[in-house]
Amino acid sequence: MTLATLLLLAAALIGIGLYGALSQQSFVMLMMGLELMLNGVMLAAVAFWAYSGAGAPAGQLLTIIVMAVMAIEMTMGFALVVAVFRGKQADTTESLSGLKH
Amino acid sequence: MIVDQLILPLLMVLVTLSVGAYIVAVLDRLMAGAFGAPRGGNVWLAPLTRGAWLLTQHANATEAPDWRAWRLAPALYLALAAIGLAVMPWSASLVATDLVTSVVLWGSVEALATVVIFLHGWSANALLTLIGGYRYVALGLSYILISMFVLIGVALPAESLQFTQVVASQEGLWNVLRQPLGLPLFLIVGLGMTFWGPLDLADSTDLAGGTASEVSGPPRLVWDIARAAMLVAFSGVATTAFLGGWLGPWLPGPLWVIVKMLAVLSVLLLLGRWLPRLAPERCVTLMWVVLLPLSFLALVWAGAVALWE
Amino acid sequence: MTESMNHGIGVDIAFVLLAALAVISGWRVFRTDSMVRASFFLLVSFIAVGAIMILLAAEYLGVAMFFMMAVEMTVMALFMVMFMMNPAGLNPMNMVHQERIAIGAGIAGFVVLGAMALFAAFPERPLPTGLDPVRSLGLEMLGDSMLIFESAGIVLLATMIGVVVLSSHRGRYGAAAEGSMPPGLAPGGDPAGKSEEDEEAGGGHEHHHH
Repeated sequence: MTLATLLLLAAALIGIGLYGALSQQSFVMLMMGLELMLNGVMLAAVAFWAYSGAGAPAGQLLTIIVMAVMAIEMTMGFALVVAVFRGKQADTTESLSGLKH
Repeated sequence: MIVDQLILPLLMVLVTLSVGAYIVAVLDRLMAGAFGAPRGGNVWLAPLTRGAWLLTQHANATEAPDWRAWRLAPALYLALAAIGLAVMPWSASLVATDLVTSVVLWGSVEALATVVIFLHGWSANALLTLIGGYRYVALGLSYILISMFVLIGVALPAESLQFTQVVASQEGLWNVLRQPLGLPLFLIVGLGMTFWGPLDLADSTDLAGGTASEVSGPPRLVWDIARAAMLVAFSGVATTAFLGGWLGPWLPGPLWVIVKMLAVLSVLLLLGRWLPRLAPERCVTLMWVVLLPLSFLALVWAGAVALWE
Repeated sequence: MTESMNHGIGVDIAFVLLAALAVISGWRVFRTDSMVRASFFLLVSFIAVGAIMILLAAEYLGVAMFFMMAVEMTVMALFMVMFMMNPAGLNPMNMVHQERIAIGAGIAGFVVLGAMALFAAFPERPLPTGLDPVRSLGLEMLGDSMLIFESAGIVLLATMIGVVVLSSHRGRYGAAAEGSMPPGLAPGGDPAGKSEEDEEAGGGHEHHHH
């Protein structure tokens, strides 16, 4: 377990998450991709805190803030899914073309 | 080093797990007898015969279940109970893992229990088990918040998230007296976590057994043991958080823990036999409208007392 | 566990296993047939990362991951069942678009970030001995960084209000869906909903304007 291996793991999680966020059609699966990317970000933050931050507490605080961002992203995402579904009975990104043309 | 740090703690948790589950089964049968339910056979032997009988039975299969999740769920619930038993201290030095955030770890055991029980109901691919799983999520999301506030209240006077420190902070006055609202609320959480008695929404008789209605044979045995073990783990945590853990005169610490755990277990099992089961919607209303504000009050009380001391 | 630089072989073995678990379950999220299974695979990935954080001596953050994500993923699984077809995964499922671009972007992201991990020179300043990570985090949150921490709380509160406004069924001017429902198939009938034929008809309609 070194800083390089930890960052490689974080990069792998971010890569998989990026694939999911770009490729998934359904809103909720798309959000899962975003969450996986944030997972990698949090791991990288903690790895930097442990190996090159000399234990500065602000490094841990950053992770807490990312967790809060994650909660906000999830709740806003679900609220939008509910609103869109009520309006258009749609659950995939393709069915939202209102702002396209 | 490996023996000290790995094998002995593991052995301790396993022994507590199995002996505790057996004691729960015996106590519950004794209570049932006291309440006039017909008693089948010897109280002390009956749990063992039932266990042996379940082991020899055929494990039921439904149409196209999610096999992995269905078989894993009882084992995972048992593992969560084991985590609970691993963080509760038997004395100032006798504790399987003295993690500095053990109070938060117990909170996450409660949250993960919701996942596991939902998975148990969902993966069988049957109607009544699924309804049981959904009911449990409604209950679980309600009790987790109450439990968090109560546990934060316990951590305040200890100025630590470690159960050993929580016990040490009760040297002068046990938390059950210092925070009078805490233990009653926490006991309700315990009934919810193990879906026991009045809060048995997931495996209730009106759902023909709920999440366990399609489970028979060895998986059913694991599920029953896991529920009993979770009750034991919960009583251990309640003892640690509110009843002063190993503190007490005359007896050595671990004995005090056992006495207090048995007391909590008896109260829980008595409540389970004594109170009628709540309807799910009423239960959720009660949790959010009455008990959650009460847990806010308990936290404010705990904070004020901690400042005053 | 204060000196994470001088850890034993056990920590390394645990790290390799947990890293494999995190990556494999993260990958399975997008390769499983069932939406519920997908959300719980994501939970497994989070739990593995949380355990790695505990190995790194961030005891509070690791355990916080467990309970935060347990609740989040339960809610996510329920939303899956509510909004998706095929929550049980009884049929094969593959709902993707622009998959090649997405795969390329994912690999490119991994390669760029991985190269940074391998070739960038980061300062080597390990945790000081005798550091109490939980206590230092608590003092930071309610000390120097209180403004940041409290702003996060306010933002969460604002999110809660916004979410209720967005998803509640009725506002001051009527139902949330007022005016956005498709017209009924018959006068006064049920809304048409979104079916295959509707989509085709809608596409044709746009071409008429062309």
